[in-house]
Amino acid sequence: MSFVSNLLLATVRMAVPLLFIALAELYSERAGMVNIGLEGLAAIGSLVGFLVCFISGSTWLGILCGALAGIAVNMIYAVATVSLCADHTVYGMAMNIFAPALASFIYRVYFGAGSDLSQIELMRGIGLPVLKDIPFLGDLLFNQTPMVYIAFALVAFTVVFFNKTRAGLNYKSVGEHPKAAATLGIDVIRVKYLACVICGALAGIGGAYLTTCYSNTYSEGTVAGRGFIALAAVIFGRWSGGGVLLACLFFGFCDALQIRLQVASFGLPYQFFQMIPYLATIVVLAAIGAKKAGPKASGKPYRREER
Amino acid sequence: MEHISKRFGDFYANRDVDLSVARGEVHTLLGENGAGKSTLMNILIGLYQPTEGKIFLNGKEVRIESPSQAVALGIGMVYQHFMLVEAMTVFENIILGGRNSSGIFIDREARRKEILELSERYGLDVELDKLITEISVGAQQRVEILKALYHGAELLILDEPSAALTDIEVEGLFAIMRKLIGEGKSIIFISHKMREVLHISDRITILRAGQVVTTVDRAETDGQALASMMIGRELSGSHYEKRVSKDRPVVRLDRVDYDKASKHNGLNGVSLEVRQGEIVGIAGVDGNGQTQLAQLVTGVIAPQSGAISFDEKHVAVFDPSAFIESGVAHVPEDRNLQGLIGSMSVADNLVLKSTGTSAFSKWRGLLLKKNAIGDYSRKMAQRYDIRCTSVDQDVRSLSGGNQQKVILARELESDPSLLVAAHPTRGLDIGATRFVHDQMIAARDRGVGILLISADFDEILEMSDRILVIFEGQIMGEFSGENPPIEEISLAMTGR
Amino acid sequence: MEKLKRSLTAFIVPVLSILLAFAIGAVIMALLGASPVQALQYLLKGAFGSRANIGTTLSRATPLMFTALCACFAYKCGVFNLGGEGQFIIGSVAACYVALRSGITGPAAAILCLIAGALAGGLWGAVPGALKITRGQNEMIISIMLNYVATLFMGVVYTNWLRDASVPQTEAVPEATQLPRVVTGMRFTWALVIAVAVGLLLYYFLFWTSTGFKLRAVGFNMTASRFNGFPIKRYILTSFIVSGAIAGLGGAAELLGTQLRLINGFGAGYGFDGVAMALIGQLHPIATMLVAVFFAALRTGSTTMQAATGVPTSVSDIIQALVIVFSVAGMALVKLPEFEAFRLRVFGKRGRKEGVKA
Repeated sequence: MSFVSNLLLATVRMAVPLLFIALAELYSERAGMVNIGLEGLAAIGSLVGFLVCFISGSTWLGILCGALAGIAVNMIYAVATVSLCADHTVYGMAMNIFAPALASFIYRVYFGAGSDLSQIELMRGIGLPVLKDIPFLGDLLFNQTPMVYIAFALVAFTVVFFNKTRAGLNYKSVGEHPKAAATLGIDVIRVKYLACVICGALAGIGGAYLTTCYSNTYSEGTVAGRGFIALAAVIFGRWSGGGVLLACLFFGFCDALQIRLQVASFGLPYQFFQMIPYLATIVVLAAIGAKKAGPKASGKPYRREER
Repeated sequence: MEHISKRFGDFYANRDVDLSVARGEVHTLLGENGAGKSTLMNILIGLYQPTEGKIFLNGKEVRIESPSQAVALGIGMVYQHFMLVEAMTVFENIILGGRNSSGIFIDREARRKEILELSERYGLDVELDKLITEISVGAQQRVEILKALYHGAELLILDEPSAALTDIEVEGLFAIMRKLIGEGKSIIFISHKMREVLHISDRITILRAGQVVTTVDRAETDGQALASMMIGRELSGSHYEKRVSKDRPVVRLDRVDYDKASKHNGLNGVSLEVRQGEIVGIAGVDGNGQTQLAQLVTGVIAPQSGAISFDEKHVAVFDPSAFIESGVAHVPEDRNLQGLIGSMSVADNLVLKSTGTSAFSKWRGLLLKKNAIGDYSRKMAQRYDIRCTSVDQDVRSLSGGNQQKVILARELESDPSLLVAAHPTRGLDIGATRFVHDQMIAARDRGVGILLISADFDEILEMSDRILVIFEGQIMGEFSGENPPIEEISLAMTGR
Repeated sequence: MEKLKRSLTAFIVPVLSILLAFAIGAVIMALLGASPVQALQYLLKGAFGSRANIGTTLSRATPLMFTALCACFAYKCGVFNLGGEGQFIIGSVAACYVALRSGITGPAAAILCLIAGALAGGLWGAVPGALKITRGQNEMIISIMLNYVATLFMGVVYTNWLRDASVPQTEAVPEATQLPRVVTGMRFTWALVIAVAVGLLLYYFLFWTSTGFKLRAVGFNMTASRFNGFPIKRYILTSFIVSGAIAGLGGAAELLGTQLRLINGFGAGYGFDGVAMALIGQLHPIATMLVAVFFAALRTGSTTMQAATGVPTSVSDIIQALVIVFSVAGMALVKLPEFEAFRLRVFGKRGRKEGVKA
């Protein structure tokens, strides 16, 4: 029982940062922006979140600044891809190189090269009254850090936004058929920039979560490929809020399982267990194949006066 | 609209155009491809900004800087290529953008009621909960009109609305148009189909090469006069001598099926042959299986049943390279996507398929002879009148006509026995069109069998030695290219 | 004329990007309280100031050249191989096994190691390639996931299977199997010669052979290539395998020439650096190699700079990152029609007249 409940508890914890980053990509792709620079955005988010928290002592301020840093860096991507029509993939890759370099530079300038690992105090869990006393589920779902609740609330919001609201419908049309959207008076360029702001913020939060709610130190490999796994989660989740949630829980489970198995060891080198999330991603992608279900105009530049 | 001009670089798409549309009239814009109709309408709808000129609406000058302003001013456009989001339902498409409703959430009941009222009033019959991909082209058009009306359009622009419709659907469309003007709406109708123009218009403005030729009342004109004003010359019969080929067939299709349940993208039991030295024209409205036919005969897709043979030899391998080996040349329908490598030079595109031959490389392709490629390309540029600053220029930067000439040069110089040409002159100006046609006729006279697929009926009539009509993936009949029975063919094109 | 114009833009954008990146780098240095002029002087001196320094720079450029050529080749065929790092690592692991476990030493063993590295890298690259053409899957995500798997696998090797006593690293490659230096007093080894040879070979293949020509066509426009009868799936898979093999060869060469043993951090970051260099080099193999030297110079130079002025070495990482940010945006900018219009307005209409010139 304790193995299973620990495993599920860890699953939720591991899924949350992935969920933020995957939702970031969902909002981006729904507006036709394929952003593979999530890894970089999360990296800068994790550094800034950690640093601000270290200085101010406030995890909340850390997360907020992580979001702002994500937005700031993603604006470079926005200008290049939306206004200059640079290739989304190529530019996302440029961001994956730029943002981590910036993060480690700031870290080294602030802490110096050889300093000991600095630590911060993690965000504490808040049990929701009454709900947390539900046996089993209580601990699992209602006795977590507020960021966990925020992540799940965000999923619910996303589902409602894209399916029930006028703004969500308009937003989606930009990713599907920007020209049609433009003829109906939707400002395509503005929506795309907005998408980049949301994407930067959520990916930054995802990164900041890692250093303020999950591990209490910063290191260069903190994000550890979650930005790319999040990309896979969006494909696996079929570009819907609910689907992304399930996909992230699945990948979170793989991650949690990996840690549990490492502890159990079975005499195998621990690295084999660490491979599980990455191998799972490959297997999942290979299994679902390429039924193209994403937004139709994803990754395509949009120009107003085109002949 | 007064004194409207629009310049792209050095090129005037519109020059000093005046156009006035009265309330409750159908005003037709008549002109050939590239006469500037679409540009003018894109200015009216706020997608383009005019280089010069003013726009007045109900007597007041307006500046239309974005489509949303046009919508707010009551101008709605139904584009030739529908602006519908395929992954959404009819209902969602109609309310998209929705300026005239408030609230955060979609009030489905209220919106639905509004739409149904409109649809009843104008006889626009649609199924609101179907996805766009699930409804017919005619229904998609009704959705577009309904969408424009829902957004409060008083002036409706219909850009070649009948291009993709069957005759019955066109009748339905005209009934709707009459209802609309009866209710005091105005319509700008863009077309080059004479019969329809004469049928529905109140007034007609003719555009040629970006300029207004004249505006006339329907009552005071006839088809012959309009046509000559539109082209700037008298309509005449075909320039070319027609032939009846008795030579052996180069290609034969025998009861070929491909996705036959699909009306728009499939083929159903198609049998045909193309003989040496003849042009077989496939006439039909766009989207009746022409794309699939062209791709089948060039090996891009494989038939699901039936057989294809070249020179009486049965084809077993369906792959473009095998077809090219058998002597098939292809001028594909989308030259930029399918025919050319835009980022490579004119020269590279001219030798695209033949770099492995001894003419252009040594040791079976191990060392390219760049000088030979350059010399050859310059020769081709001259022979095929490809206008470029240099053959090293990216082919992307050429005009459509010159791009098409690059493809034509490459394909014809491969010494093919069969040329499959899909919409070879789409979007080309008159000079380039003429050049392409001349080259195709010359190839025919050399003994090349040509399968010409075109939605441009005039082109089919002009070029074909034999005419086959395709409708919903089926061949509806065969007609002689010499003195073709135009009425009969037109009927066959609509499925009768 | 046309060619000249194109190569001029292709040249100007990266150069301007580099200048701009250095300008921002100088501002950062100034903000950190150092004199930018002095810092840059030390940077330059550290990279090229002496025979030894040049040797070090070239030695550091060698592995970068391999991963850059790896990224360059795949992207020329229109597929994004972000797995250079994994392929590099797997190549080094394979080479390490041959070097330590085959029982033979000497030049023959070295050649065997290199072949093993290339094969392993090619195999590692074949996975995303095969999944791409059979399952239509996103090759980028797959190849990145395989980087992590490769890194972890290497971890197993140096912490368990080939562990050198108590230290988490493998034994060193026997001296006889190591790649020797080319010139005494300079650190670079024959690995550099191999890298340059590979680069020249790629250049020849891509621009002077019929197959290379077709591969580029596939990279530019897959649909048109298919319509024109090129077997695009075969090209994609092959380009992935070759691309992986180049990285794998690089991993083997780096092991035999410079690192000599597998250890934590081996190959880390080389994959993405390779992509960056290929993009800055506009996917031209020779330009890509020059960019690799530039990157390496920044890295060696920055150590000297840090020692002399206290400016941290990571400034050079920022400069590198800025170069890629600027150059990719710059290449997009010059392709915009608005930019062409602007250029015409400013520089007139030279060379725009229609008509064929011989």
